[in-house]
Amino acid sequence: MTFTSWQFGVFVAIVFAVYYLPALKAFQVQLLVLASLFFYGYGQPELLALLAAAVFGTYVFLVLALRDRRVWLPVGIAFNLALLAFFKYKLLFIDPAAPSLVDFAPLDFLLKLPLPIGISFFVFHNISLLVDLTRQKAATPTLTSVFLYIIFFPQLVSGPITRAEMFMPQIRPKYFADIPFVEAAKWVLIGFFFKLYVANNLNEMTSYMSFPLYETLQTQDRWLLVFLYSYQIYADFFGYSAIAIGLGLLFGYRLPINFNLPYISTSFSEFWTRWHISLSTWLRTYLYIPLGGNRRGVWRTYLNLMIVMGLGGLWHGAGFGYLMWGLLHGLMLVLERPLLARLASIDSAVLRAARMTLVFVCVTMLWIFFKLPNFEHAVGYLSGMFTPSTNPNPTKLFYSLALLYSLPVLMQHFAPRSLSEGNLRHVEPYLYGLMAALMYLEAGPETSFIYFQF
Amino acid sequence: MSPVQWLIKCGAGAAIVLIACGFATARFGGGLQMPATTTRDGTLITLSRFLREPVPDIVMVGSSLTFRLKEEYFATPRLRNLALAGGSPVTGLEIVANQPQLPMFILVEANVLSRSSDTALVERYSRSDSEPWFFRPVRAAVAAYEQRLHAPLTHEQVALNLLRLVEQPPSDFDSRVYADRALQQFNAEAPADATRINAKRIGELIQRVEQRGARVLLFELPYSEPIEGSQFARITRQIIHAQFPDQERWLRIDVNRSELRWADGVHLDERSAVILSRSINETFQKFLGPT
Repeated sequence: MTFTSWQFGVFVAIVFAVYYLPALKAFQVQLLVLASLFFYGYGQPELLALLAAAVFGTYVFLVLALRDRRVWLPVGIAFNLALLAFFKYKLLFIDPAAPSLVDFAPLDFLLKLPLPIGISFFVFHNISLLVDLTRQKAATPTLTSVFLYIIFFPQLVSGPITRAEMFMPQIRPKYFADIPFVEAAKWVLIGFFFKLYVANNLNEMTSYMSFPLYETLQTQDRWLLVFLYSYQIYADFFGYSAIAIGLGLLFGYRLPINFNLPYISTSFSEFWTRWHISLSTWLRTYLYIPLGGNRRGVWRTYLNLMIVMGLGGLWHGAGFGYLMWGLLHGLMLVLERPLLARLASIDSAVLRAARMTLVFVCVTMLWIFFKLPNFEHAVGYLSGMFTPSTNPNPTKLFYSLALLYSLPVLMQHFAPRSLSEGNLRHVEPYLYGLMAALMYLEAGPETSFIYFQF
Repeated sequence: MSPVQWLIKCGAGAAIVLIACGFATARFGGGLQMPATTTRDGTLITLSRFLREPVPDIVMVGSSLTFRLKEEYFATPRLRNLALAGGSPVTGLEIVANQPQLPMFILVEANVLSRSSDTALVERYSRSDSEPWFFRPVRAAVAAYEQRLHAPLTHEQVALNLLRLVEQPPSDFDSRVYADRALQQFNAEAPADATRINAKRIGELIQRVEQRGARVLLFELPYSEPIEGSQFARITRQIIHAQFPDQERWLRIDVNRSELRWADGVHLDERSAVILSRSINETFQKFLGPT
């Protein structure tokens, strides 16, 4: 069940209507857990048991780690990482189409299971739960609360990755009168608008970046499509996160902001404080800092950055392309690090614009490894960007449509803040109404959220 | 502003835009020629035009091979090419067969018969109430802009350029990489079962439309030599000719093969598509008389 399906709309309406019934006030957490299980099992019922086992296993390790953190915390983390590694990277070693992979039937069954949707996200929730609660020496939470934190349906499939210390204190009775309706509506509307109007329409064009279709493109169109994909992936993931935040608010939970205008970043380190913030925060808290962060000298800091970004790349998928993407981002962070202080001391609008452009172009070029996880295809696409096209029948793209479908991303990033904080405040509800109408009238062909595959 | 006021204003904003688009659709019609971001969309525009405009004399249905034969290449203005890039000739034939009035001639491509009919598309273009309630404002604006800049070409407008193109020597574009890949794919596919089903379905549809007065001709577009010998091409040819052995059922296309070139071994390049279109056009001028 995707956020953009009518079934999901009906599902949310029913859960919302029942959630605030006075008679069921004592069972709000249980209701959300049941609803989340239904949401997850709707698409992949065979994987419900796996999800339940992951959560229950984590709960057992949490109880044990609260008694003896030194022994059981590493075991709990290893349990979750093993789960992630097994499902995410097993395809590197096996052919799932083979009639029988091993003689042991239960293992054969597990090997043939598809990648569980959202596994990368709920495994990170599990680890956060183990680390945060044992560090705080908190009281043992109830099993239902743990289930809700890990499988809360707005964030289950693609985040935002909420830290346990932020979410768990929010588990308490919720009241209809406390719902911030306008804020929730704004998040939900802008999320659907970015997904349906921007991402789905741009996807129609960027589908030509796939192999072998990209060989039909003219050189300048290869460049154009890379930039369009940059806008698309932002609109797609920002859209998902915004819908998740809006839905969370409807049920009384505040999820973390995941994006903060990433394409205006003037450095790569700034980019990672603005893009997929919940993932970069998680990686910093649970990986970079435990590795020593920047406290163990310059070279160790560089090594830590490369390790964190490389693993961050592999977290997205078991492909050399994802690893390259992560490592290249790590390299950018390493290269810019000695220059940051000097650059920050120069107060120049031109320099700022140049830095912004450079970071945006580099980030955009690196998205090619996301769009084409097959490394050879990605290199083929890249090399075609620097050689003239010889195809006598190139694919035709409408530049005017490309501009109009990218416009919301550009406006969001570059429109002066004073507009939304000044006179435009009075017309704000109408603008959101316009977005609601456009996402219905101009919705692009249905495609799943890009981050669903992770 | 209270939350209720905010939500009412938001709903009003959305309603105003929807009503405006609804009125515009009622005034101008839903079949506005929206620009294509893909070749498939281009076909949908032609399908919409086919439903909206008077019944043409000739309709072509087929796959991406036939899609290359652009309507402006033909001297007769009463020809519609409903070929679907990535689609099946059966889809186009079903849509045409479901119309209340039929064209005089229906030309059915017999090269790619392994794809099943697109039932959703057939349903969409076979209903009389398929006009949408609202048009897409952004695409409509771009359509107006694009049509102002590049109005659809007529044969008269391009005739001179086509003549110049045909007078040029065949292209020397090296398509070996693409042709090798296509050959590999054409040898890997085993289309027999699906082709038999589709050939039978074409037979049923031919019977249906010919009982209503239309005449159906099958045609095969030439492939490059290696592709002609591929497993896919051989099996398809064998099955469709066994289903329709009567030579009168087949449209003769007389072209000098040495003049033809393919972008990828399968799809004709522009010059070759023009040469093919001229040949088909000459055949039909005998039937239709001067246009």
